[in-house]
Amino acid sequence: MVLWVLGLLCCVQAPWAWAGDEERKLEAVFIGRFASYIEWPAKPRDRFVITLLDDNPFGSLLDDLYRDKRIHNKPIELRYATRLEQVGETDALFITLTSSAARAAAIDYAQRNGILTISEAKGFAESGGIIQLDFIEQKARIKINHGAALKSGLRIGAPLLTIATVLRGDKP
Amino acid sequence: MFDRISIRYKLIVLLGLSAALALLISSAITIYSTYLSESRSSLRVLHQLTDVISENMRAALAFADAGSANTMLASLRADPHILLAVVNDESGRALAEYRSAGLSTAAEPRFRAEVQGRILESAEALRREDGFVEHIDNDFMAVVRPVFFDGKPIGLLVVVSDTQLMWAKIRELVLLQAATSVLTLVLLLFLSVKLQSLFTRPIMNLVAAMQDVARTKNYRAVLGSDRRDEFRNLYDGFNAMLADIRERDDQLSRLATTDALTGLANRRNALDVMQTMAARAQRKDEPLGVIMLDIDSFKNVNDRFGHPMGDLVLQEVSLVLQASARDYDLVARLGGEEFLVVCDCGTQEVTTAVAERIRAGVEGRPISGPAGEALQVTVSLGVYSAVPRAGAEDIEEMIRAADKALYRAKEAGRNRYVVA
Repeated sequence: MVLWVLGLLCCVQAPWAWAGDEERKLEAVFIGRFASYIEWPAKPRDRFVITLLDDNPFGSLLDDLYRDKRIHNKPIELRYATRLEQVGETDALFITLTSSAARAAAIDYAQRNGILTISEAKGFAESGGIIQLDFIEQKARIKINHGAALKSGLRIGAPLLTIATVLRGDKP
Repeated sequence: MFDRISIRYKLIVLLGLSAALALLISSAITIYSTYLSESRSSLRVLHQLTDVISENMRAALAFADAGSANTMLASLRADPHILLAVVNDESGRALAEYRSAGLSTAAEPRFRAEVQGRILESAEALRREDGFVEHIDNDFMAVVRPVFFDGKPIGLLVVVSDTQLMWAKIRELVLLQAATSVLTLVLLLFLSVKLQSLFTRPIMNLVAAMQDVARTKNYRAVLGSDRRDEFRNLYDGFNAMLADIRERDDQLSRLATTDALTGLANRRNALDVMQTMAARAQRKDEPLGVIMLDIDSFKNVNDRFGHPMGDLVLQEVSLVLQASARDYDLVARLGGEEFLVVCDCGTQEVTTAVAERIRAGVEGRPISGPAGEALQVTVSLGVYSAVPRAGAEDIEEMIRAADKALYRAKEAGRNRYVVA
């Protein structure tokens, strides 16, 4: 009886759980796909580096997904940093920092170093981040701060801008 | 029924039918080739549209952005011929769909089923980046293209369009072709009416000439033609046939009117000619001289020298007769060794003069046989001269009178003439 109830609960909760997993997977996929639509200033690196700052919500998902893959014809290197000082040279920075001050510092660092910043934190794009990714009713919403991208020296491809909500300056 | 139609109309019908058939075939080929090129062209346009949409759709598919995908597909509303457009993500779920207001609910399931069938048939092709599926039939056409991202298929774009534009162009062409064909046919028929005379005029002329010859019996007619083709041969053949008829007629006429041995007029012809001469003499009130003559002892010639010699004697006497008579006198062999000479305007003096010339001529003309034998023959002549009276009986009477005089000449010792 207990098992049946647990099973029922699992069934009831499964769509939510599935939705969360699915969103996370999509998010992981989207990080790489964003990169495909963005042009970086020429850098003498032979690897495309994606860094996660703070918590890793993907588990091993990113490693599984980007192992042996290439972005801009470069092999992908995944780094996991818990502090901004650990970020170093990177191409894309996925920020999961919860503190807005910490996020602002990370955004500032990224802008100075030509790094693409991605986050799902609310108000990320408005506060100078380049791509803010939201999932509303299991549908991805992309918000791009085009001014911030330009300030970072990045050029975002028109197809990506077409499907995104675009902020034309640092502020909406 | 076709046999009853004149060759002129047969030619017109033949030319008309040939032209119609040629136009029909060329029109069918033109329309079919236009259908092929128009369907290819329509599909090409749909391919271009699909390529553009799929390119724009890539980002929406990459980020599973149904809203943007729907917005992009909604722009297809600008083209009223696009009936349906569907974007499926890589799992086959519809990410976005555009359905035209003009798409009938009755036709939609068929379109979808047809496209679905084609997708299943060509699943392999759709796994290639340059792969596509296309379909066209009378009602709609569709293009299916895979959308790739970083070398991997992330979705499928289906665009369905109606074929109204294509059919409108083809209808336009058919109408134009039909109008052109009718115009050409009318022109060709007009030309064929004119051109048929090139062929029929010589035939018609020949037919008219044949009818004319048949009606007038004028076999001396000669058809002239300046042509150099087969009609010339036909005309020459016809003229040769007429010449043959003329020759045969002449031969028959000769056989009917002349004596085969001597070449003189035969009895029947002599009586006909004499009748004419008598009528003229009567009309002019002029005398007609009649000389009946007979070779003396001709039976002895035959008995002694044989018939070939007898025939030779007859021929020699005939020559003397022809030489002694005037050009316009009638000389005839009535049968056996009996001859008739009719002198036009033959007074007694004239007739007796001719008779004497004959007698003297025959007497003075020794005849040599084939074996070298010499023969001397004489003739007895009965002469009669009078103005003829009306009727054929009078001719016979004149001949009879001359014949009686001949009899008297025979009785008087032969080799002489006696005037009746």
